[in-house]
Amino acid sequence: MPSATLLDISRWQFAFTIAFHMTFPAITVGLAVFLAVVYGLYVRTDKPVYLQIFRFWKKIFAVGFALGVVAGTVITFEFGLNWGPFASATGPILGPIIGMEVVTAFFLEAGFIGIMLYGDGRVSKRVMLASCCIVALGTLLSTTWIMAANSWMQTPSGYALVDGQFQPTNWWQAIFSPSFGWRFPHMLLAVLISAALMVAGIGAYYLVRGRARAFARRTVSLALGTLALLVPVQLYLGDHLADKYIVPYQLPKLEALEGNWDSTNTGYNIFVIPDVGGERNPVQITVPWLGSAIAKDLSGNAPTPGMLNTPPQDRPNPWPTFWGFRAMFFGSMFIFAAAFTGVVLRLRRRLFTAGWFHRFLLWLTPVGVLAIIGGWVTAESGRQPWVVYGQLRTADAVSQLAPGSVIASFVGFVLIYLTMLAVWIGYVVRTVRRGPELVDRPAGIGPPGESEATLHSGRGAGAQ
Amino acid sequence: MAEAWFVMVAFCLVMYVVLDGYDLGIGVLMIFERDPLRRRQFVELVATAWDGNESWLILLGVALWGGLPGAYGTMFPALYLPVIVMLFALIFRGVAIELVSSGRSAGGRWGKAFAVGSVLAAFAQGVVLGGLLSGVTITDGLFAGRTFDFLTPYSVLTGISAVTLYALAGAAVLQLKMEGPARARAAATGRVLVPIVGVLSAICALSLGATDTRPELSSTGRLIPVSIAVVLAAGGLVYAMHGFGRKPDWRPITGVVIAEVAGLFALLAAIHPLVVPPRLTIELAAAPSGALNFLLIGIGVNLPLVLFYNWYAHHVFRGKYRSAEPERAAGVSVAAAELAPSRHRPAVSEGVAAGEASREVPR
Repeated sequence: MPSATLLDISRWQFAFTIAFHMTFPAITVGLAVFLAVVYGLYVRTDKPVYLQIFRFWKKIFAVGFALGVVAGTVITFEFGLNWGPFASATGPILGPIIGMEVVTAFFLEAGFIGIMLYGDGRVSKRVMLASCCIVALGTLLSTTWIMAANSWMQTPSGYALVDGQFQPTNWWQAIFSPSFGWRFPHMLLAVLISAALMVAGIGAYYLVRGRARAFARRTVSLALGTLALLVPVQLYLGDHLADKYIVPYQLPKLEALEGNWDSTNTGYNIFVIPDVGGERNPVQITVPWLGSAIAKDLSGNAPTPGMLNTPPQDRPNPWPTFWGFRAMFFGSMFIFAAAFTGVVLRLRRRLFTAGWFHRFLLWLTPVGVLAIIGGWVTAESGRQPWVVYGQLRTADAVSQLAPGSVIASFVGFVLIYLTMLAVWIGYVVRTVRRGPELVDRPAGIGPPGESEATLHSGRGAGAQ
Repeated sequence: MAEAWFVMVAFCLVMYVVLDGYDLGIGVLMIFERDPLRRRQFVELVATAWDGNESWLILLGVALWGGLPGAYGTMFPALYLPVIVMLFALIFRGVAIELVSSGRSAGGRWGKAFAVGSVLAAFAQGVVLGGLLSGVTITDGLFAGRTFDFLTPYSVLTGISAVTLYALAGAAVLQLKMEGPARARAAATGRVLVPIVGVLSAICALSLGATDTRPELSSTGRLIPVSIAVVLAAGGLVYAMHGFGRKPDWRPITGVVIAEVAGLFALLAAIHPLVVPPRLTIELAAAPSGALNFLLIGIGVNLPLVLFYNWYAHHVFRGKYRSAEPERAAGVSVAAAELAPSRHRPAVSEGVAAGEASREVPR
């Protein structure tokens, strides 16, 4: 058995690096789709406001995408660096799946992102639009393969265990493992929603400031429309994901994320401070009846199963599992409120005049990303103590490195990533303050209705 | 089957060295470049291609993981520190490229981060190769050596060689992409670098026998291909030397690519079938045939597409480097400048300034 320190630091390092990485796909997958749509609208309508939106969001997308790529490269190598035994055991299954991601998605994105970001003016509009669509397709394919790989680790199938190595017996079952069908659409909607929320929040900033009005209205309207369509579907999917996959396949995860020890609580815990050693919750705030209702028993008699059902050595830690889930759940409530209010205000024709709602949207800008990270914390820490659920324990999967090496690399990652995060946030804030730039077109070509809007947009820059 | 997959891994390695080698090399050469305009041009040149080039590194890693998991799971723990340093360097560099292209000064902190990150990444990659060739202690299929086993005189030598080789490739690409004084300067740098790379490669090759790898060259079946490759590599360097400073400008990079491909081939042919010296062979490290079949079909089918994307991305930005910011006289609006005929503008489509929005800071 490896020393506890080595295992703990290796896990912290992986958790930290993957959470940092996830921050960027959580934004850029949706933004890639958004940019393709907006450029498509520009090509179709020839309205300069769409080109203005495209050029503005392209700047935020470019740096976010680069951060996602380099942080993702780290993950690819970390499997071998820190989790050598895991890599050797799962290589025959996960290696080919990630390999498909690289050849179908990464190269596709990489081949066309240069054109998308730097091709404006060098290539025709049609090639630009095609490049935008291809980059968006690449990010979606990437999401698909990654969800296939992670879902296999949650619900392994289609393999035979030979001398401690997972060998593929049925690729169809391995790629479309039982949890994939629920987790993939859940994640897909999550990234689209988090990007839409970010677009809405930054558009709302300009509404609050009274700058770049046409740009702001168009982006807020597009983003809120997307949210109104996707958020209800996402709530439905999230609910069914628990029923169809967590309960039948990973009951201990459900027990931990609901935060109960015994199996008598028919309420729903909204705040819990667990005492893992004492197997109890010293602090617990519960909404009566709600737990049973969520389990589809409106009579209020269905209790939520508790962690004592699972032997201690097979129990996930309730701290990250419970709180990761709450971060996602509370985040989703705010997002739902925004989507719902947006529809109501639009129907009452007050969408662009309700200042309080714009400030609310502005505050919600990062909530989608935080909810996604919370969801992943639940998924991954709720799978513990297994790395391949039920088959390979995390403790047996760690590389036997000198703890000093891993401490050094972990400290390095923390310093570098926090710097990068500060740089990224600073860059986004500066880009937003500077504002979308005036689209410079030969006089008289743009439709007259739009010209007032584009003139306004450049104004903010002078104010700095 | 495992052999076929090994060829694929080798192909990824060669593609990575050839492609990312030149853009890392441009970063290395930026250490010696003071002119802020030229520094910016270097970064923008790399900005259009680095992502695709670096994807080969990811594919190399994943190809090892899926096809040779026994090697992937042991060599990376053994080479932990240099690989981590390489990753740190690549992070700084990638972010620096996008920040500089999005408007930051190339003479400032991020320009330096790009240059230093490129040098460190190149050096770390050389150390990784040298550390691997120096031998990895494996017990029961797991790495069982010490933290600093990778650090040998040989790995330091390969580290320095990698930096100079990449710088040479960078100089060759700069001759291809630049004009005027920048081109002349790249050519002069290349002429200095060719003999250095030649000597360092020769020392690396000759001292390989002193490492744990101990290549066995006695059989003629091995000696002949290795010798041919060595001669080709030397020929490539001579061809590059001849091409530096002379037209046509594609000659130096052709020579360098020949040298890189032949040199790597010679190395792999000499140590075959070892993947993790001194003992782990392809056979021992390979995944079961179910995984290899999937990999060969799945990745093999996609490979022509991948090569097409790589080619197309370079094709769009072909020819001499043209700044995305159109040159125009003071007082001439972008729209007016667009209407004027311009030499280096293969396909202007819209009446909108090319990519300018992403670069120019309104004041």
